[in-house]
Amino acid sequence: MVGVLRRMNVLRALLNIRHGPGAAVLPQDVTRIHLEFAMKMNDGHMGPKKFWRENLPRLKFWNPAVPMIVNRTPSQTGAATLSVYFRDDALIAAAGEDAAAAPKADSATPTSSSSGHAKAPAHTQGERVVTIDMKNRRSEMILKDFLDATGAVPVVPTNQEEIEMKDMADLKRKSEIDMEIGRKIQEARKREEAILAQARSEAAAIKASQ
Amino acid sequence: MASTNQFLASMARLSLATPARPTTVSAIPKFLLPSVATPSVRYASGSGGSGGMKKRPVKKKKTYKLFRSYDLSPMEQVSLCDAMRYIRAFEVGHTPSVIKYEVAVKLKTQKNGPVIRNRIRLPFPFKTDTRIGVICPEDSPLALEAQQLGAVAVGEESLFESIRQGKIPFNKLICHTDSEAALKKANIGKMLGPKGLMPSAKTKTITSDFKATIHELIGADEYRERNGVVRMAIGQLGFTPKMLSDNVKTFMEHVKRDVNSIDDNFPKSLDEVVLSSTNGPGFSLNGKFSPTDPKITVEDLHSIM
Repeated sequence: MVGVLRRMNVLRALLNIRHGPGAAVLPQDVTRIHLEFAMKMNDGHMGPKKFWRENLPRLKFWNPAVPMIVNRTPSQTGAATLSVYFRDDALIAAAGEDAAAAPKADSATPTSSSSGHAKAPAHTQGERVVTIDMKNRRSEMILKDFLDATGAVPVVPTNQEEIEMKDMADLKRKSEIDMEIGRKIQEARKREEAILAQARSEAAAIKASQ
Repeated sequence: MASTNQFLASMARLSLATPARPTTVSAIPKFLLPSVATPSVRYASGSGGSGGMKKRPVKKKKTYKLFRSYDLSPMEQVSLCDAMRYIRAFEVGHTPSVIKYEVAVKLKTQKNGPVIRNRIRLPFPFKTDTRIGVICPEDSPLALEAQQLGAVAVGEESLFESIRQGKIPFNKLICHTDSEAALKKANIGKMLGPKGLMPSAKTKTITSDFKATIHELIGADEYRERNGVVRMAIGQLGFTPKMLSDNVKTFMEHVKRDVNSIDDNFPKSLDEVVLSSTNGPGFSLNGKFSPTDPKITVEDLHSIM
């Protein structure tokens, strides 16, 4: 196994999942979230994909109880939508007894799928759905719309965490400098090797022709 | 014919740096001429071992008997639920039946000597793709029994022939004690060995009781120590914390038992347990279960992925 310190440096990147765009606590009435977009990025599906890759893990970390279902479809021409399901007390009151008897949201929620099988579930009684169109939009805009629609509260890093984040940024800067030095050494070595190899092959050719 | 070494050396001098001293200049590049024809350049320092800078003797690399183990004090260790919370966040949106939790148990152990190798039946098995091949006398009641128990390939010589042709429709192979001699004669160890399929008494795959062995194989999983670490898939992403903890506990009990049962001349002990997942990072576990964040309950980690 890899050494502890090196692993710790990697693990400190976990800060990245705790803080950054998307780190927000959803209000209690959000019951589930469903995303649908295509497998590939063409035709305006890049933003949704970025949203899933970069922002959704942070949301999931702060809201582990909320099912977040991603349905990636094979059709590039299909829609890219984000549906947020809210529990609506007014609707529950209006539905009365029926809402209490209605099947729980969990039983109707599919699991994430990479072949388009996890279609957005129909909302149960006492639920309302807000859909956000994600096609041809950048992930920042999708996130902004999402936060506005849900009224999620962004998570603020503590002082300690801010210091750690700064440390991580410093480390990254240092590693970039080191990488540049290493790259130069490697290049010089490769160049020398190439010259030697060429000389060797020329010599071999001369030997063969004699 | 000129020796190649001499030839290369003079060439390397040519290509890497210009000689410090002027040599006899000729129109033809030096490497085009056989080195016998050109008088070799002599330097004041002489060549080879006589005088000049002496080569330092190459330091012998220190060899270690044990696999390296690290001081774990700087390692941030987490409880199972915390690790699951992070992993579930990393794996959000992936198909939960595809993504697996994995566990790696690092041992303090010597590099040589016996290794841990065993089979385990987890309380919550999740592998369903076990296909069993059975070697037993053809068309015997045993073959019929094996087929009824769900074996995909049954036979003796016919099975050996298909294995030799590279047709291996199974991923587990067992052998009846009656066919052991035939198996040894068949000379198929070369095909099966690298795949880890070769039946042997050691792995309890040469048996006289098909029923028990097949029952153990379906839903049972093998683990073994490689480079001082035992790794194994331990659950699906969709598992609840309770299910995962049951699996991890059972696995750890087995590993501990194996560690204790190993020959005293090769002492082994547990060092670290790391939980990771297919795409996620690895978390060193501290043996506790509950989440540390008071706002998070165990039930929160039951949600559908």
